[in-house]
Amino acid sequence: MRPSFFHHLHPPTIPAAQARWRHTLGAGGTAVFLMLILGVTGILEMFYYLPNPEDAALSVQRITYHVPFGWLIRNLHYWSAQMLILVSALHLLRVIFTAAYTSPRRFNYLLGMGLFLLAILLDFTGYILRWDKSICYPLLTGTNLLKTIPLIGDALFVIATGGGEVCSNALIRFYTWHIFGLTIVAVILMAWHAFRVRRDGGIAVPPPDSRADTARISRNELVRREALAMLIVSIFLILLSIFFPAPIAPAMSASANASVTESAYARAPWFFLWIQQMLKWGDPFTFGILIPLAAFVFVALIPYLFPHIQKNEIGAWFPKSNRMAQIAIIICLACVLVLTFINR
Amino acid sequence: MRRLLFLSSFLLLIFFLFIWWVDFRQPAPVALIPSLSGEVEYCLTCHADLPEISASHPVQIFGCVSCHGGERLALNADLAHSSMRGGSNPSDLSVVAESCGGGNCHSGSEADDRHHIQRVTSSIQSTYAGAIANIRFTFGAQVDLTPVFGMTSISDNETKTGIKSLAAFHPADEENPFIQKFGAECLTCHVNAAPREGEAYARQTGCAACHSVGEHQMTTAIPYTQCNACHNRGNYDLRSMTFVERTDRPTSRLADYYQPIAQFTRCEYTLDCVDCHTRDEVMGDGDIHANQKSIQYVQCKTCHGTLDELPRTKTLTDPNDIVFRMSFLNPVMDLKLGDTVIVTEQGEPLWNTRQLPDGTFEMVGKATKQYFTFKPVMGTACEQKPDEQESRYCHECHAVEK
Repeated sequence: MRPSFFHHLHPPTIPAAQARWRHTLGAGGTAVFLMLILGVTGILEMFYYLPNPEDAALSVQRITYHVPFGWLIRNLHYWSAQMLILVSALHLLRVIFTAAYTSPRRFNYLLGMGLFLLAILLDFTGYILRWDKSICYPLLTGTNLLKTIPLIGDALFVIATGGGEVCSNALIRFYTWHIFGLTIVAVILMAWHAFRVRRDGGIAVPPPDSRADTARISRNELVRREALAMLIVSIFLILLSIFFPAPIAPAMSASANASVTESAYARAPWFFLWIQQMLKWGDPFTFGILIPLAAFVFVALIPYLFPHIQKNEIGAWFPKSNRMAQIAIIICLACVLVLTFINR
Repeated sequence: MRRLLFLSSFLLLIFFLFIWWVDFRQPAPVALIPSLSGEVEYCLTCHADLPEISASHPVQIFGCVSCHGGERLALNADLAHSSMRGGSNPSDLSVVAESCGGGNCHSGSEADDRHHIQRVTSSIQSTYAGAIANIRFTFGAQVDLTPVFGMTSISDNETKTGIKSLAAFHPADEENPFIQKFGAECLTCHVNAAPREGEAYARQTGCAACHSVGEHQMTTAIPYTQCNACHNRGNYDLRSMTFVERTDRPTSRLADYYQPIAQFTRCEYTLDCVDCHTRDEVMGDGDIHANQKSIQYVQCKTCHGTLDELPRTKTLTDPNDIVFRMSFLNPVMDLKLGDTVIVTEQGEPLWNTRQLPDGTFEMVGKATKQYFTFKPVMGTACEQKPDEQESRYCHECHAVEK
């Protein structure tokens, strides 16, 4: 029987051992599903969101309280976005812990890092689009950090915000980045990343002669498992959306005596708390740009720094021959978590 | 696997029904488009049972947000209330300019007598300038009684009293422990300070301290009980810097009005405070004053005259006279062009009085709506000397217990 479009995207069979939940955690596939939900809910929100400084926060309130099931769409969009960061991080960890980044998958790993970065930027730009009191501090901090970069800082600032008074011009810029600029690139990279997964031989496995288990499952069974994962993720997202509404704060105050960055709201979004903690230590360029960038580049270079893996351990969890990479990423993760949680 | 898929799909369907149920339970939003702003508000979704605050501020014209602030579109209490001014009291002096202010509202021009916010914020009731200056002078913190501090910092560039500004009083910065204790214990009255604990002292702050008589109610017919949230509650003991509350349990207006040691005539308890004490006295005249004595001036002779002088009057000839505007807000007396009303020594009209054809006067209590008639002192058997016009001289004969 000739496969449907969706079925044909999958290989005819895949090794059964690597198709198990506990092997891949389904993290990559979940990330794709979350991006899909983000796209659909995002487009629905575009029907009501007004991307100008006077109306933006009020249009978000209108979506939340006055559009039928607007609250659901907004909450789904918010939780899918936060889950995407976590799921992408989980996927990154899984790839490193199973040494699935080794040749020929090193370029695909870089594509994945690009997608991770895009997911964070999309989360940040989306967060700014709320245009309420809680975003002013992160907006000013984030965009001013760009200015600290030597040589190209001011140009980058203009590209990101449109220059001038950030809190009035930046909105339309961030809107365009969020719905188009970053999204187009993310879609292209997603397609490329998925293509490379198949072209590089699918889920990382030891070569046929080193495999203990040679059982395989059909593409139909694979699709069934993906459908189950999508249903479970949907249920989880719906539960989050019903019981934990997306944050919302009052619209930015127009009155003259309201300070732009009210102290109650001087907090970075959760995925940047680790950077905010470091910024308390000193020079913004060093602690806000250089160190996070160095950490990102280090993680991106892991396939080139720790390329060695024994053939029969490819795709196995915590292979002994790749211990250094695992230790390196655990240290990075621990640093980020500690910095996040000590930030009060 | 197929069974798992079927069960999960079924569970998802259940959750869709749950979503629909959650949405169904939300209260139906109640929209209000006040004619003043033209912007829809949804406060009435939850607050429809609040009474109209006053006939002068109908909700269909003003809405809620123009005075209270808040997020007009929000249907969630926390978000809706998050940007409200002054909590439940937008007339608190820290936010009054945004809530009650505006050229067409209560911070207009002095020429039109619409500068209420500027008057109240600089009034002696708000600044406490006299009390603070007196205590600091008494305990050696300043060389004379010229006021330096007030409850909040305030400035007046067009001052007629010579006092251009006051700085904010910080008792913790004072060296003398008596002054510190004064700051901690004795500044809990009037319009700028939160009241003491206790039902007898319960009141709002800001404009609402006087004008708000019940839950979400404003009035110009202010009864004496409003004033008695601060006044006649007891006495201060300067040696220990404490307030000694009055201990009687009054059951009549006569016993309730003034504390037991006071002397007063019948009209001083039958009328309300606002029937005699004028707007300038209570709300201020726009200038920073050094103490209560320099602003409080109404006496018995203001209405009754003396043996030598009749009370001052004014005949109403201008339909735009402020008297008609004031009377309109609390029309106890149906004033018309050609009527003659009593005016005070400072020219403030007593708009609840009117001269009768025989030269006597009629008056209606602003809060009680009681009707009175009275005659001027001239031509009576009064024994008061013309230069002894303070109330204590009138009390010698007319005090209640006599």
